[in-house]
Amino acid sequence: MARDPVQRWAPASTLTGVTLPADALGLGLRPAHYPYLFERWPRVDYFEAISENFLGAPGRTLEKLDRVRERYPVVLHGVGLNLLGHEPLDEAYLDALCRLADRVDAPFVTDHLCWTGASGAAHHDLLPVPYVPELIELAAERAAYVERRLGRRFGLENLSSYVEFTRSTMSEWEFYTSVVRESGTWFMLDVNNIYVSSHNHGKDPDEYLASIDFSRVLEVHMAGYTTEPDGSFVDTHDHPVSEPVWALYRRAWERGGPFPTLLEWDAHIPAVPELLAELEKAREVRA
Amino acid sequence: MSGHAGPAWLAELQAGFGQVIRTPLDRSTGTLRAATASYRDDFVREIADSAFGDAASRLAVYNRQYWFRLFTVLQASFPLTARLFGYWAFNEVATRFLLAHPPASWDLERMPDGFEGFVAEEHARDPALVEAARLDAAWRRVFAAPTVRPYRPTTADAARLFTSRLLLSPAVALVTESFPLVALRHRLASERAETPAARPPALERPAWWALVGEPGGVRHVPLEPREAELFALLDALPLGEALARVEASCSDDERRGLPERARGWLARSVQLGFFSGLAE
Repeated sequence: MARDPVQRWAPASTLTGVTLPADALGLGLRPAHYPYLFERWPRVDYFEAISENFLGAPGRTLEKLDRVRERYPVVLHGVGLNLLGHEPLDEAYLDALCRLADRVDAPFVTDHLCWTGASGAAHHDLLPVPYVPELIELAAERAAYVERRLGRRFGLENLSSYVEFTRSTMSEWEFYTSVVRESGTWFMLDVNNIYVSSHNHGKDPDEYLASIDFSRVLEVHMAGYTTEPDGSFVDTHDHPVSEPVWALYRRAWERGGPFPTLLEWDAHIPAVPELLAELEKAREVRA
Repeated sequence: MSGHAGPAWLAELQAGFGQVIRTPLDRSTGTLRAATASYRDDFVREIADSAFGDAASRLAVYNRQYWFRLFTVLQASFPLTARLFGYWAFNEVATRFLLAHPPASWDLERMPDGFEGFVAEEHARDPALVEAARLDAAWRRVFAAPTVRPYRPTTADAARLFTSRLLLSPAVALVTESFPLVALRHRLASERAETPAARPPALERPAWWALVGEPGGVRHVPLEPREAELFALLDALPLGEALARVEASCSDDERRGLPERARGWLARSVQLGFFSGLAE
């Protein structure tokens, strides 16, 4: 029987009027897409907007988002929450995020289990922390707070990471699943990131997948990575999704589908029809 | 800010990580490389070696990403300036700017704020570069300006129009050029090159433009010299006073045709949405 993870666990207070089909296929919304979208309005289940592209954006930028929203559900995906920065969360940022989420009536909002800046400096990157119990508590408390502030489901995305800390006492997935469980929030599972990080750190991506409670998965992200000269992987979002990542996606689907699936492509962005063809592979893979 | 801060050790660790990330890239080999030998030893010991390299080489991924991401945003925000420098030299200036003004906001679009001033200070003897940076900054400002309703004078405004100050819309910038940079900027926009663009010779006399932010982009409106003089005066003076100042600086020949020309300038400027209202 098909399950609807988006609906099933959400407390009534966080349900919004907009929901996605459980097996929805979506695209990451980028400015390069606008001309095609506004002319053709292709068939896509939903779009995901990068929150920071619209927080404090000029009116004409928001008007474009509004036009998209008139035709499609829009979820929000952030890169600037700084959940694990040592300083407390930025309330002004959260105020703006709440306003934006209300504006598009986002079915859910997501950001990363990471830090992005500290001591007044913004690094504009998704940076890992040591995986230790003390930070589970910190991240969980903050994530739960964000969900309450938003009044919507809030999902945490796993990172692609390139370093491991010597002071970590647990695996990334133990840390990630603990934060989601203790906060009562949600997984925004990036399958490409699982593959990239597992490769870089010599871990088994299937062991990672096995740790995930799929009833708490809001959405799955897919993207392409780049292989560095030293053989490590970097999450660049500038390639098609690799075959091993599609294979991992199929195993994720077998474990916990259906779930909404979103394709991200941020550099060397192809035309929308090409993106849609790439997205369509998800349907083929999980058939 | 909300809630409590993280533990003290996290603050120290994040400070060390931030320092590594911001370590300038080494240019000595003719390519940009992470200067891993400069990383703080005590922080590098926090990182495990991996199958793909030692701890410092793994940190270098973040170090490179930091700089290349910021270079890319600065290049996109100051495209004409970047091409006049050429990307290699531009990135060197960008490095100095970012070391002096590290990004402090979650909003990456704010990171380039003030770069035109930095270029003006560092390259005061190169007027084309200084002008290019100002043009890029003006373009960026009108592109990001909030949408405001254009001012359309009503009959009720007629009585006070000449005694009030017209407010320039935030989506409009007046720029002067001594080099034909507006045209060059437009031409270079369709090129993907990173090499230094040829410097155009200076104009025989300065030219003026209004950059007007519109839903589809930024319109470049050439202004007559007297028209530009009038609009520049409007920033500080009521319309009647600004017109009087322009008239006073005109030759007898110019003065005769001024009323008709001024009506034409004002009609076009209102039609193009130059103004957002009258100052109270």
